[in-house]
Amino acid sequence: MLAQQIVNGLMLGAIYMLMAVAFTLAIGVLNFLNFSLPGLFMLGGMLAYGFITLGFPVIFAFAAALAAAALVSLLVERFAYRPMQGGDPEVPLVSSLGFLVLLENLMLIYFGSDQQAFPALVPDLNLRFGGLVIGIAQLGSLVLSVLLVLWLSWFLSSTSTGRCIRTVAESRDTAVLMGIDTGRLVPLLFIASALLAAIAGLLFAVNYQQVSPFMGEGVGFKGVAAMIVGGMGSIWGAVLGGLLIGLAEVLSITFIGADVVNITVYGLLLLILIVRPQGLIGRPATREKL
Amino acid sequence: MALLDVSGISVSYGRVNALTDVSLQVNEGEIVTVLGANGAGKSTLLKAVLGAVPVKGGGITFADTDITHAAPHKRIGEGLVLVPEGRRILISLTVEENLRLGAHMRRDGTAIAREMDAIYARFSNLAERRNMLASCLSGGEQQMLAIGRAMMAKPRLMMLDEPSLGLSPLFVSKLFDLIRELNHDGLAVLLVEQNTGKALSVAHRATVLELGRVTMAGDPKALAADPALQAAYLGTGEASPA
Repeated sequence: MLAQQIVNGLMLGAIYMLMAVAFTLAIGVLNFLNFSLPGLFMLGGMLAYGFITLGFPVIFAFAAALAAAALVSLLVERFAYRPMQGGDPEVPLVSSLGFLVLLENLMLIYFGSDQQAFPALVPDLNLRFGGLVIGIAQLGSLVLSVLLVLWLSWFLSSTSTGRCIRTVAESRDTAVLMGIDTGRLVPLLFIASALLAAIAGLLFAVNYQQVSPFMGEGVGFKGVAAMIVGGMGSIWGAVLGGLLIGLAEVLSITFIGADVVNITVYGLLLLILIVRPQGLIGRPATREKL
Repeated sequence: MALLDVSGISVSYGRVNALTDVSLQVNEGEIVTVLGANGAGKSTLLKAVLGAVPVKGGGITFADTDITHAAPHKRIGEGLVLVPEGRRILISLTVEENLRLGAHMRRDGTAIAREMDAIYARFSNLAERRNMLASCLSGGEQQMLAIGRAMMAKPRLMMLDEPSLGLSPLFVSKLFDLIRELNHDGLAVLLVEQNTGKALSVAHRATVLELGRVTMAGDPKALAADPALQAAYLGTGEASPA
């Protein structure tokens, strides 16, 4: 029973982990808490659902949903982030929140506010290890999420573009003096974080077989909580935080009751903020990021 | 035609004029030094040449190309690099990553590896610490790393902004030896310095900025002998230093 719940918690945690990593990219490099990301998470799930119900092949529906999320993220960069350069960092936060509300309501107009049933795409095949039951879709999501984060971490540490991104994270002024073309790099980061969020939304839809215009809010805010619990600006912190929040949520549903989920999750956040404000593996007062 | 030709540029920050009608040339194989008090506009001049601050009037050509409005990364790609004031080492990157960062616009992998080996051969301290975070280097080593990083961009002209600032006298001597060596190997240098004596001793030509305007320019020996300059910057005259 406990082992099964831990497995389920890790599966949910993988989705929070992707969201937390998406937020981490934005805040770690651009110092921008991008609240449009929950909207892009929702777009990933909702648009895939929309294209599938219109009769498009699944692969096309997924690709189109991801492409749309990336495109919208470029609009966020252009209209919420870029014009606010040089101002307070809170300003683009609010304008990106505007994008979240806009996206939610656009979907609301088209699909209505009800939960929609996302079709079961993966055969209902379960792997059994002793008493453990693991769904193929769950396992696939977890593996994909982990591979994605491993690849991202490798990319940041070992490629030339990755070094440029870490340079921007440490000092934007120095990056310009080193000839880093931030006009090219910043939109790239918006696309990367949008894809992470939209993939998380897709995985959520496939695993839990439901989508709604507001599906991004709960998951998005838990992604932010996961990022803070793990340690802001650190990718591995986001991974740890995401998995922990997923576990805390599933275990508290099982052993205490569904009503207290938010108390457990945000209680954990509060506890971390009191005991270890820099997060579990965040380092205080350094400029090191990612 | 000079390698770098700055003609009559002006730069302002808001309503404050930082540079007014400044002209300056650097020829192939030359070391040119820019002298002046704090706030005279020396750093602004280098940043304007790099393209990190916009110029209001005048023009800049580099290697016969008009770069007045080119983005910094375009200019660096052409071989115009800056070793910034305060070194600006990336402390969250390793020594080697800092060097590689200097070559981020190049795709010729084997040449990059060869040049990195040459830099390690020149600076053995950097070679020993290549996989450590750059934050563990001393000030002098950081300056060497900043220069090494600039060399990785394969420059034709290197601009150095106060490279001797905060270094021990031993390292200052090493630094000026290095600048001479690099120049001997064919690199043109535009040097901004507070250490006026040292700067004039390595330079082929010198320019003096005061409040954003060129007030003197010419042969460094003649400038070194100029009573007004001595009074202002060399500390040997009777007037108080600026």
